[in-house]
Amino acid sequence: MRKLFRYLKPYRGFAILSPLLMMGEVLADLCLPYLMSFIVNYGIIGEDISESKLASTVMGILFPSGDYTSLHIIITFGVLMLLVTLVGGFFGTFCAYTAARAAQGFGHDLRRDAYARVMSLSIEQTDRFTTGSLVTRMTNDIAMIVEFVEMLLRMFVRSPMFFVGGTVFLLTLDIRFGMVLLVSLPVLLVTLILVLACAVPLFSVVQKKLDRVNCVVQENVSGARIVKASVQEEYERHRFDVANSELRSISYRVQRLMAITHPVLVLVQNFAVIAIIYLGGSSIAEGLGGMSTGNVMAAVTYTTQVVFSIMMMTTMFHSVSRALASVKRVREVMDTEPVITDGEGAVTSPEAPVAVEFKNVGFRYPGTVGAPVLHDINLQVRRGETLAIVGATGSGKSSLVHLIPRFYDATEGEVLVDGAPVGSYKLKDLRRKVGFVLQKSELFSDTVSGNIRWGRRDATDEEVRDAARVAQADDFVSGFSDGYDSMIAEKGASLSGGQKQRLSIARAVARRPEILVLDDATSALDLSTEAKLQAALRERMQDTTVIMIAQRVASVRSADRIAVVEDGTIRHCAPHEELLQISDTYRDIYASQMQKGGAANE
Amino acid sequence: MNNGERREERRTAAPALDFRPGRGNMNSRAMVQKPKDMKKTIGRLLRYLGRSRYVLLSLLVIMLLVTAADLCGPLLQGKAIDAIEPVYRNAATGEILFDYDKNDPVWGDIEVKTTFEVHFTAGNYVGRSGKTAGLVPYLVAMGVLFLCSSLLSYFQGTISAKLSQQTVYNLRSDLFHKISRLPISYTDTHRHGDLMSRMTNDAENVSNAISQSITALFSGVITLVGAFSMMLILSPVMTLVALVTIPLSIFVSAKLGKFMRKYFIRQQRLLGSLNGTVEEMVTSYETGVAYGKEGDAVNVFSGISGELRDCAVKARVWGSIMGPVMNFIGNLQYVLIAATGGALILFSGTSTVSIGNIQSMLSYSKKFTHPINQIANQYSTILTALAGAERIFEIMDSPDEIDEGTLEVSPAEIKGDIQFSKVQFHYVEGEPVLCGLDLTVKAGQKIAIVGATGSGKTTVVNLLTRFYEVVDGNITVDGMDIRQLPKRTLRRSIAIVLQDTVLFHDTIRANIKYSRPDATDAEMEAAAAHAKADRFIDRLPDGYDTVLAEGGSNLSRGQRQLLAIARAVLADPKILILDEATSSVDTRTEMHIQQAMLALMKNRTSLVIAHRLSTIRDADVIVVVKDGVIAESGSHEVLLQQGGEYAKLYRNQFAGIAT
Repeated sequence: MRKLFRYLKPYRGFAILSPLLMMGEVLADLCLPYLMSFIVNYGIIGEDISESKLASTVMGILFPSGDYTSLHIIITFGVLMLLVTLVGGFFGTFCAYTAARAAQGFGHDLRRDAYARVMSLSIEQTDRFTTGSLVTRMTNDIAMIVEFVEMLLRMFVRSPMFFVGGTVFLLTLDIRFGMVLLVSLPVLLVTLILVLACAVPLFSVVQKKLDRVNCVVQENVSGARIVKASVQEEYERHRFDVANSELRSISYRVQRLMAITHPVLVLVQNFAVIAIIYLGGSSIAEGLGGMSTGNVMAAVTYTTQVVFSIMMMTTMFHSVSRALASVKRVREVMDTEPVITDGEGAVTSPEAPVAVEFKNVGFRYPGTVGAPVLHDINLQVRRGETLAIVGATGSGKSSLVHLIPRFYDATEGEVLVDGAPVGSYKLKDLRRKVGFVLQKSELFSDTVSGNIRWGRRDATDEEVRDAARVAQADDFVSGFSDGYDSMIAEKGASLSGGQKQRLSIARAVARRPEILVLDDATSALDLSTEAKLQAALRERMQDTTVIMIAQRVASVRSADRIAVVEDGTIRHCAPHEELLQISDTYRDIYASQMQKGGAANE
Repeated sequence: MNNGERREERRTAAPALDFRPGRGNMNSRAMVQKPKDMKKTIGRLLRYLGRSRYVLLSLLVIMLLVTAADLCGPLLQGKAIDAIEPVYRNAATGEILFDYDKNDPVWGDIEVKTTFEVHFTAGNYVGRSGKTAGLVPYLVAMGVLFLCSSLLSYFQGTISAKLSQQTVYNLRSDLFHKISRLPISYTDTHRHGDLMSRMTNDAENVSNAISQSITALFSGVITLVGAFSMMLILSPVMTLVALVTIPLSIFVSAKLGKFMRKYFIRQQRLLGSLNGTVEEMVTSYETGVAYGKEGDAVNVFSGISGELRDCAVKARVWGSIMGPVMNFIGNLQYVLIAATGGALILFSGTSTVSIGNIQSMLSYSKKFTHPINQIANQYSTILTALAGAERIFEIMDSPDEIDEGTLEVSPAEIKGDIQFSKVQFHYVEGEPVLCGLDLTVKAGQKIAIVGATGSGKTTVVNLLTRFYEVVDGNITVDGMDIRQLPKRTLRRSIAIVLQDTVLFHDTIRANIKYSRPDATDAEMEAAAAHAKADRFIDRLPDGYDTVLAEGGSNLSRGQRQLLAIARAVLADPKILILDEATSSVDTRTEMHIQQAMLALMKNRTSLVIAHRLSTIRDADVIVVVKDGVIAESGSHEVLLQQGGEYAKLYRNQFAGIAT
């Protein structure tokens, strides 16, 4: 918590001013009942104004002759009341302004830094948080904290001040009124605490039931085909109704419980009022002096204010616990140190014949034990060469290429790009050299050309089109009604897998990278399209080093060399024909895909 | 009671009710969305409320009572305060004298003071305390009244909770039932997130509006009318004076409200785009990193966030001005009433108006202005709820899946002859997918459908299962037009294994039995064994009782597919449809799956969207789909010899030779 409060520092002026202004507002509010009691006592009932030093002094200053009627008293204190209201409102508004400036400024800075932190984390670190949780941390949790800070600056001053101030003013009216508070407050507190103690644990149950309802809906929406194909609509409706009625009954239980608080609050308050009228009334009736109708009325107001401040404080405790949970979740992000950091800037040899080199590279995922994912990798990829990588799922192909743009750092050995260790590059420079097309093609809600231009912002329309042509995307894009200006909705939900992959490739091509990595990025293309793509790449990007992972032998056979990865290391690396001779694994793969009954061999 | 307290009440009311589980509800509520056809939507929503009409009725009755009790409060309090006045009588004559003045020698000094009486030395006067005479009965009455009112208000709370929960339950349930009856084309063409948000957010907004707004509106109106009548009875003159401030407060709240809404709506929009930015960048994190876009992303984000900050400050300030301004108007009214009351007493004495009456007037005037604010506050909640209800009704108004088939055939009787005749189909008008496709499959045959991406292979499946309806031509099963078969019969006789396996958040047992819930455990396990899924299931700590994570994400792709195959085996259908794409499953897993699939296809009519050479070669007939028709069909060898489309495709797809 304290660490996040650092973010308030630039706004400390506002943050300090705000509670002070709030005090002004509360004081003004507390003065009002006193002024009203003057109006009632000396203006309406017509008691002797000399009983109150303050009231008579005020009137004495305004009417030095002492020549005033009770109506003058009403109007004088009425105007005073309005002035105090104005001053209080002025304080209140400025308090709101300062609190908002402090809290929103705090929120903006925190959000920016938290987001920058997320962006600087490695892929493995973001994976550990899961994307969904990162999104809520960035949005809901921070919003919750901002709201909390604002409340802290305003309400956390307001309620205790009302409590203390109201009590003090009440006791100055009559010390016996303290007894009323002494009886009513514990009753209220105990009830509130009991209700909350019962209800709070139920909140998480409600959330769980709600999740369950959402889960069923989600499954039915995304799995509509299988539900319909299995003719299980009845069953699903039943499943939903069960979840839905569970949600209803638990929500009802919670709301019923919470419904106790309001009546109890009002009841306690009203009985306190009755007690005050009784106590005050008998004082007056007995002519004991010092008590007046106006005072009773003021006391009633102070009592209700004190009772409400208690109510407010309990709700505040609740929001504290909620905010703390959010703080914890944001802190977890902020406290995660990025493991991949910028290098000093590399000294490269652009003329070197080797574009990418792996030297005795070993790798294991952070925090894992057992056999490493990669070990003893030695590989040189020449400038302009096309290298294909094949191997079973989990053999380490993807991990291997992820080391090039430093998605991960090798745990052993060295990865070099243009003769310089990847760690020595500034990340931006390194990633500018490497065009990386991921297994999962990710498009953005933008136009087609906007998506391709994402690779290089200053690409001209012609360059965008050109990149699309190389990626074999031009044909289908031209078929869209708006061509390159067509919007891609919902991250490309309307496109087929193959179309998405081609656009991702176009994006990477538009970047004109020195090294192009295709991480199984052509799996959804049919082979003739893929073959055209490869031909285009060869022709148009002769200087570009291409490293591609693929499952299909047909995709890789035309590569200059094919690396066969098995159990975390490169077993063989040679052209297709040669590999058929030397690698059993490659022959197996080839056989299973190319010849009849490959599957039945097992 | 005074204004400070009312203000406090307004500030506390919202958080006091707002104990629900954590959610940024401030945001969702501030958003004002305009419904399109308000009248119609209100009518339909009222019909929903009508389903719980007795609950609604009792709620209204209780609310009437609570409000009436509330209105009696100030009256009693005023009477009680009046009763505090000591009453002075002449002990001998009983004549009441009001103006005790200790400086007046008529009274003399206080001589004896008992609990109830004050005797004066002048002898003739006795002050009798009003305490026993008047105060206590009023206090007792107040106590009873408050007790009843609190009790009733508790019932009001529970009943309104019941009403809102029941209504939202009905809404959700109807909506879900509707969704389950919608055709696939609906879910295919609508964003899933959008459907989800209608189910949750919109339903939630409606429920909020019901629990808050109905109470607020109803009791607001009653209070308004009640307080006004009370004031008129107490003092018509003072009432007139009090009314002066009403137009002022309406004018101010309307003006300020406009500004507030403007900034709140902008704030909401900014929040939306901020969330969108985070969502997009975080979910596409790897791509962002690969392109070194972190810096740019932070700049974009920071820009929106800064705008949000500036807008939020403005929204807050406008929002917070409302309180003091209304407070000022309230206090102005207080002073006006007090001054009028004071003037009345001054000029005509306490005969026309008592001090207690003035006090009651002051309380009622507050009760009078309060509901105006309250009703104004409900405006945005109600609009948002109506817009939400409209979106829900929009789904409910979409046409159901057509199911007009009446032929009474049991799925077991179906043999599995399939015939497509001159089938035409398009998803979007003007972009034909199938243009007169003819295809005959005999019972027990294995058909491999091949073709380039987007040639319409999947469409064939969509039509056979009637996920989509043919535009022209017809499809028959065993000679019966599938439109004449009830959908349940048709679909019971078909099993589908899709490339993206859908699994439910349930046990493995339930997931396999999904295709046939009445299957015994033994049959289920046999099916799993048949599908070669038993090996990995046995290795799981809870075996068949292992609960799958949402979407089956705790299983590998291959394992998920094996479960889907087991499901199909258990269904034991006459017709089998396989989409065997296994692009990201490695060779070894693929072999596993393939074996299971081969076993599954035995003795069934199988339509396979084929990706594997082995499947294609094994097929009885290979059909090549091109340009919406079947370009050619026949066995592997025959087609290869023909040297047509298939031969081209084969060279491309499987031999990897570019043409």
